[in-house]
Order: sequence, then C-alpha cells, then structure tokens
Amino acid sequence: MALISAKGSFVATFRDHVVSTLAPYVGQAVADTCVRATALSLGKTTDTLATDDFPILENNVRRLLGPVAPSNVIADLLHTIERGS
Amino acid sequence: MNTAAPAGSKTRVISNTTIAWIAAIAALTLVNWYCLGIVEEEFTGILPYGVAYWFGNVLDVLLAVLTIGTAIRVGLRENVGKIWLLVGLAVAAYTVGDIVFTIIDLHLGQDPYPSLADVFYTLEYVFLFWAMMRAIRSYRALVPLTTPGIIAAAFGVLGVAIIYTQLLATYIFPSASETGFWGTLVSTFYPVGDIVLMLVPAIMLALVIRQLGAGRLGWPWWIVVASSFVLAVADAAYSYRDWAGLPGSSLLDSGWVVSLALLAIASLVARDVYRSR
Repeated sequence: MALISAKGSFVATFRDHVVSTLAPYVGQAVADTCVRATALSLGKTTDTLATDDFPILENNVRRLLGPVAPSNVIADLLHTIERGS
Repeated sequence: MNTAAPAGSKTRVISNTTIAWIAAIAALTLVNWYCLGIVEEEFTGILPYGVAYWFGNVLDVLLAVLTIGTAIRVGLRENVGKIWLLVGLAVAAYTVGDIVFTIIDLHLGQDPYPSLADVFYTLEYVFLFWAMMRAIRSYRALVPLTTPGIIAAAFGVLGVAIIYTQLLATYIFPSASETGFWGTLVSTFYPVGDIVLMLVPAIMLALVIRQLGAGRLGWPWWIVVASSFVLAVADAAYSYRDWAGLPGSSLLDSGWVVSLALLAIASLVARDVYRSR
C-alpha cells in the first residue's frame, strides 16, 4: 500500500511514513526510536508495522515526545500520520 | 491557540516577526556595546555614564519580557513552557540584579560588590542551570544521557581545576582577609558557577541535542547552549581580568548582555518551532 509522506512524496511503508513525518521535528534517529518502541511493544519488527497499529503508535509518540514538544505540535504530527495512513 | 496544518509542510519555520526581532535585538546589543565603551572610558558627568548604564538595563528588561512572554505563549501547563519560564526567570533575575547594581553604584555611590545585586545574579545561574537540566531530562526516553553526562562532567572537573589553579589559588583565596567572607564567597561562586552551573549543563545539553540531528525541536536549545558558553566565558574572563589587574574591555563586558540576547532569541525561535503549521 502506498502512503504519502509529510513532504507529499510516496513512501513505501507505514514505518517510512511515520519517520518522514517525525524526522523534521526530532531528527531521523529519534523518529526511528519512536517507531522501534511501537514495534517492540507489539512484538513486531518496524517493517511489519501497519496502519492498524496507529493507536499504539499514538500512545508512544505522546509518551516520548510529550516532555519535549507542546501538545499542539504532537497533535499536529499525529494528525499528519493518521491522515497519511 | 494555533491551528494545525500538515507537519513538515514547506512553510518557513522561522517567521518574519522573529527575524525582525533578531535584527532589532542585534542592533540594540551593538548600541549597548558602544554604551559600555562609554562606561569603560573616563567620563565627565553623570549623564553619559548614567545613560550607558540605564540603556543596558532597559535592554535587559526588554529581553526578559520577550523570554517570559514566549513561555506564557507556549503554555505554562506544557513541560516545555515551564522550561522556557525558567529561562525567562534567569533573564529576569539578571535584569533585577543589574538594576540593583546600577542603583547602588551609580545613584547611591556605594561599592556594589558584593551586594544585594549578587543575590539576583546568582539566581540567574540557578534558573538557567535548572532549565538546562530539565531540558536534558526531557529527552531521557529518546536519547542516551549517560555518555553526555560523563563527558560534560569530565570537562567540568578540568574547568574547575583550571579555575582553581589560575584564579582561586592564585588571587582569590590569598586575598580572603581583605575581601572578607562574603566577598570571597561571591568571588569564588562566579567562576566556579560558570563551570559547574553553566558550562557543564551546556556541554551535556549540546551532546543530547546533537542526537536530534537537524530536528527543529533542537534549534532553540543550540542557541541556549551558545548563550551559556558566552556567559561562562565572559564572566570567567571578567573575574580573571579583574583579579589579574588587566585592562577592561567593552567587548568582553558586553558578553553578559549578548548572553541574555541569545536567550531571548532562543525563546523566539522556540515559539516558531512550536507553532503548528
């Protein structure tokens, strides 16, 4: 399934879509951390994460980014992820 | 409240308002540098000396209002809002210290060192240290903090050793009988505080934020790191220059206000970074 990244280009997987959305704010490595944390909590690999996993991803993004970004920014990022998925 | 728009869209992150404020702050800081030149030179009357002093104080007030205003706009219920409030309180504490210093020195004609002003100057260190440590701690779930902590602590030990050999053991402690308890305490606190409360957390914050790469949430913290370096260097150099009896430098003295200006600019950049787009 093709997804649209935050920059408007097509990306291959849900993981890529999430990373491309979060990376402008927190950098590639931390964006990867958010995805890995979600995959780990589901017992999956990052490549097998799917759009159905969004609720768990949402919880992780709120937990991890909550201390470093205002809630409006987090809501904005989550909205972009959800809309793209 | 800000309205949401797609994250990562191609709108420019730094607003024209912030660019205009940065230009204004830079211009006012340059004028302040010129004013400090007046203070350093022999003066003929109270007016230019007083104007130079009070210009710096008014600039401090502006920077404090900008920084605290940003914290309020970010939202004091947010963790980042609380951190920026601490940064703002650091700027405000220095500002009050400068005003008290000016009144004691210029208008009362008394020796301002040590004085009530030092209580507020000390509070700047406390608030900024608190803000940086809280910012660092915010990233504990995202990036490793142990290595940055060890590296920063190593720099701290080295820095304190240099301060001890070059300043404390050479000048300050041997003069303790002349400067008295409070004079010695304050004279010791500033250079040691420059290392322990400014340089160490600034290095650790830099090493933590570095792990965000180009991530924009790190941008304002880089400016805070720069501010802390400027403050630590300006203050430690002032202490050394003063105790070693070296001539004054308006460029060096402007380091304090440059440091505050950078904090205000950091808060403006933060406001833009935190804005939904």
